[in-house]
Amino acid sequence: MRLTRRQFGALALAGSTTLLLAACGQSSTGGPASAGGGQTTGGGQTTGGGQTTGGGQASGKPGTAGGNGGGGSVSFVTALAEDERTALGEILKGFESSAGVQVKMIQMESQDVVNQLKAKKTAGKVDVDLVAQDNLRLGPLVRDSIVEDLSGESARVPETTIDALVPVTQFDNKRFFLPYRPNVQIAFYNEAKLSAAGLQPPKTWDELLKAGQTLKEKEGIGKLAIQGAAGDPLSVTVFEFIKQAGGDPLALNDAGTVKAFEFMAQLEPLLTPEYRTAKFDTMNTIISNDTAYLGSNWPFGINVIVDKNGRKDIKAYQGWAGPNGESHVLGGEVLGIPAGAPNRAGALQLAEFLMSKDTQAALLTKLGWPPMRTDAFGNVPEWQKPYFQAVQEALKHVDARPNVPYWEDVSRAMNDAFRDIVQQKQPAKETLDRYASAIQKAKQAAGA
Amino acid sequence: MLLPLTLYILLLTFVPVLQAIGMSFTDRYSGAFPSLSNYQYIVGRPDFTAAFLNTLGITALSVSMEMVAGLILALMLARTFAGRGFFRTVILTPMGVPTLVAGAAMLYFFRTNGYVNEALLRLGLIDVPIYWTESGLRGVFAIALADMWKVTPIVTLLLLSGLESIPGDVYEAADVDGANRWQSFWSVTLPLLMPAITMALIVRAIDAFRIFDVVMVMASRSIPVMSTFVYSNYFDFQDPYSASAAATILLLMIVAFIAAYFLLVERRRGELA
Amino acid sequence: MSTQAISHPAAAAPRSGTNAAATRLVLRIGFVLLAAVFVVATLLPLLVLLKVSISAPQDIMTARPPFLIYNATLEHWRALLNPATLYGPARHSLLVATGTAVLGVLIAAPAAYVISRMPRTWRYGLILGLLFTQMFPDVGIAMPVAITFLRLGLNDTDLGLMLAHLVPTLPFVAWILVGTFEMIPREVEEAAFVDGNGKIGTLARVVMPLAAPGIAVAALFAWLKSWNDLVYAIYLFLGERTLPLMTFYYSNRGSVFDTATFAVLLTIPVMVVTLALQRYIEAGTLSGAIKG
Repeated sequence: MRLTRRQFGALALAGSTTLLLAACGQSSTGGPASAGGGQTTGGGQTTGGGQTTGGGQASGKPGTAGGNGGGGSVSFVTALAEDERTALGEILKGFESSAGVQVKMIQMESQDVVNQLKAKKTAGKVDVDLVAQDNLRLGPLVRDSIVEDLSGESARVPETTIDALVPVTQFDNKRFFLPYRPNVQIAFYNEAKLSAAGLQPPKTWDELLKAGQTLKEKEGIGKLAIQGAAGDPLSVTVFEFIKQAGGDPLALNDAGTVKAFEFMAQLEPLLTPEYRTAKFDTMNTIISNDTAYLGSNWPFGINVIVDKNGRKDIKAYQGWAGPNGESHVLGGEVLGIPAGAPNRAGALQLAEFLMSKDTQAALLTKLGWPPMRTDAFGNVPEWQKPYFQAVQEALKHVDARPNVPYWEDVSRAMNDAFRDIVQQKQPAKETLDRYASAIQKAKQAAGA
Repeated sequence: MLLPLTLYILLLTFVPVLQAIGMSFTDRYSGAFPSLSNYQYIVGRPDFTAAFLNTLGITALSVSMEMVAGLILALMLARTFAGRGFFRTVILTPMGVPTLVAGAAMLYFFRTNGYVNEALLRLGLIDVPIYWTESGLRGVFAIALADMWKVTPIVTLLLLSGLESIPGDVYEAADVDGANRWQSFWSVTLPLLMPAITMALIVRAIDAFRIFDVVMVMASRSIPVMSTFVYSNYFDFQDPYSASAAATILLLMIVAFIAAYFLLVERRRGELA
Repeated sequence: MSTQAISHPAAAAPRSGTNAAATRLVLRIGFVLLAAVFVVATLLPLLVLLKVSISAPQDIMTARPPFLIYNATLEHWRALLNPATLYGPARHSLLVATGTAVLGVLIAAPAAYVISRMPRTWRYGLILGLLFTQMFPDVGIAMPVAITFLRLGLNDTDLGLMLAHLVPTLPFVAWILVGTFEMIPREVEEAAFVDGNGKIGTLARVVMPLAAPGIAVAALFAWLKSWNDLVYAIYLFLGERTLPLMTFYYSNRGSVFDTATFAVLLTIPVMVVTLALQRYIEAGTLSGAIKG
């Protein structure tokens, strides 16, 4: 009894000291910490797997080395799958021999890039020269001055760059990034199952609803999928529906947005229940195992679904249009240089090489990545051509996500509104009004 | 002898924890301190309430199932029988499967085209597959089961090492007294095992309250728990203030649990001893 | 000694002949059944991973997965078993996990011994104080910890990762060891001390061997925590990946076959380590030490 009291004393003491000390230490620790224990978020289609190329021996430190202006080595952060890493390594060999610079590829998933670079910056140990980052996760890199202002390097951007990519690389009219690769989701569908139900791939919202109803009646369970995993995947999904209805995601309570949410609420019961966990990786799985017969994903799904999972019967098209036409979120990656990069000159050299016509054509031929410039042509393998056709079609209707400083608040509001209206069937207009004012508050706080 | 350990832990982790707690009392927009605005904000969020309740439910369910199964297994393993080495190796294996993979493995059973549904379909018990990881009791149960698979071996090990440390002569004494097995379990084994039980329970509870990967893999955030709530505020919405507030509440939940445990269980033991 | 004592099912209750035999039989059958249930429940998820890793896509990629394998293939294994890509990460993971376990026990054991000989209040106060730092979600503190390590230049070194893994491991290892030392009766120690073993001698020759099961468990615990770690490996190890990081990337980017195959591959070293350590968990090997 007496003992326990004392134990409590100790705990209470620890607790109160904690609060006291906390008062002193509040200012620092800005941003997000730690990295995904899970396969988490990642709006990215980019794909995983690489580190050092070319005979990377055991535990050498990456990066650093090298003087200025070419020579030495460049640490290049890029998230790739194993086969992509091999292919990019091949392409980079040309650069290594012509420029005399060794490239070290470092694997970092898009959701970790911000925190990793932030940790390095805070510690004063930046050893990364160039970063290819998912363009859905750029805001914090700029806000926390993790990447350099590249306004002075605009001349290096090719003139033939696709127009839609320009706003993605800029914040407040200042250039922080160089274009690298555009990307867009396409709709994968199970041809046999759809036609068995007498359906064509839906081209409009009405057809989408009808397909959902027909399939649900036939199978007893929803067979359509959208990417509904909380965070970036759901934000991309909601953003596309809002745009297809002519709404403005930043306002979130205009007529178009209301229409989009009402439509999603109608669609929701017709979806496979697993849509709640669907994101770039799980979408591949549920399409491959017939849990869903139709769903959108980034084009790397072509390799996984069709090639690795052996589902040659799964086809793709550019997806459906809403009352206001077709709209896809522009994904992909851009290149940035971390502030304090040890080999800035080498990084710029590498960036120019990556943006060049030949490299872009090679990336298309070897990896099926759509080029960032209009004058690069490549040859994709025969079996990939129909899929690539879908990507090209979808790319004609891309909307870049606005680079506003309060984007994360918009994203949270879209997630919350989806839960309330679409899943819990609360009235759309009133709910959206509430979240719209939350966005306005964040906007004012951000001084925008 | 205490110094290296204490310094190491305190210097490296105490300060970050304090900073985060400080941040939770700082207003996100004005920077005012102290402020309860972050707490007001998260408490008003429906997914926070859900996360709080789910965390309690999953912890209660998984820890009690793990403790019971772990105790049974430890008692079995403390005996000698043919094939014990094999049995022990098999039982301990899930420990080494990364949590991420354990979650993925459990999905083969619990997803809509998983083996649980397949078995039920074949038996004709259902016509349409069930969605197991739905929010609510069913999902909480599925996650607790998945967690249990992965961590029961750790509980078993902790209890087993406790059992093995009980000197044999204690049993011999009990034998001589003519106690039957059940009596000797209650009156000799269990009290002597209490330090190990306390240890296993607290180690497990701390981890169960912070459950993350399994939930993330099996249910994304359709079954929110405290850790995923923290994660999602940190990463998806770049709001470390709300995240810190939720993390602090999680810390308090764990402290409250441990306090309650010592009040209710350990105190009584202290009085007995 | 102790094992024997616990292991007589019905020894304590000698009832009338046939009745006792029947009880014993029922108990034995119950025991076997229970063991079977546990074995099956434990193995099933692993068998599923194994099954996926050796199945052709058409066996897995279906709404109605078969229970058996109809189209076996070694293709997934062939694709993954590339010594060039596996050797480095495997070496790091093994080295770091083993180092973490050894260092963890070395640092925590003396402290745990001291703590275990303190009055109850202090004991729990101290341990809970250490555990206090672990009650916060990893997400909240991994970055500041990583920054400290980066400042010290400990990134991309095996030692750095070991030291980082000790942060979440040490409090638990200490906790386990305190529990272990607590259970060693002081009389045993005092007797050995009186017998003419010095303080150190008593510790080395009597206390440590007695505590071996607990130490083995603590080491195994530390080994596994390090072996499974993702968070710190992501922050501190860019140059080359560890095995869990590779699993993470595979499950993120690759197909379910890559993930399953890699998962099976990952559990093999764990089984080896568990097997290697488990004889130390046996009390039987220790009773000699106690009596001798």
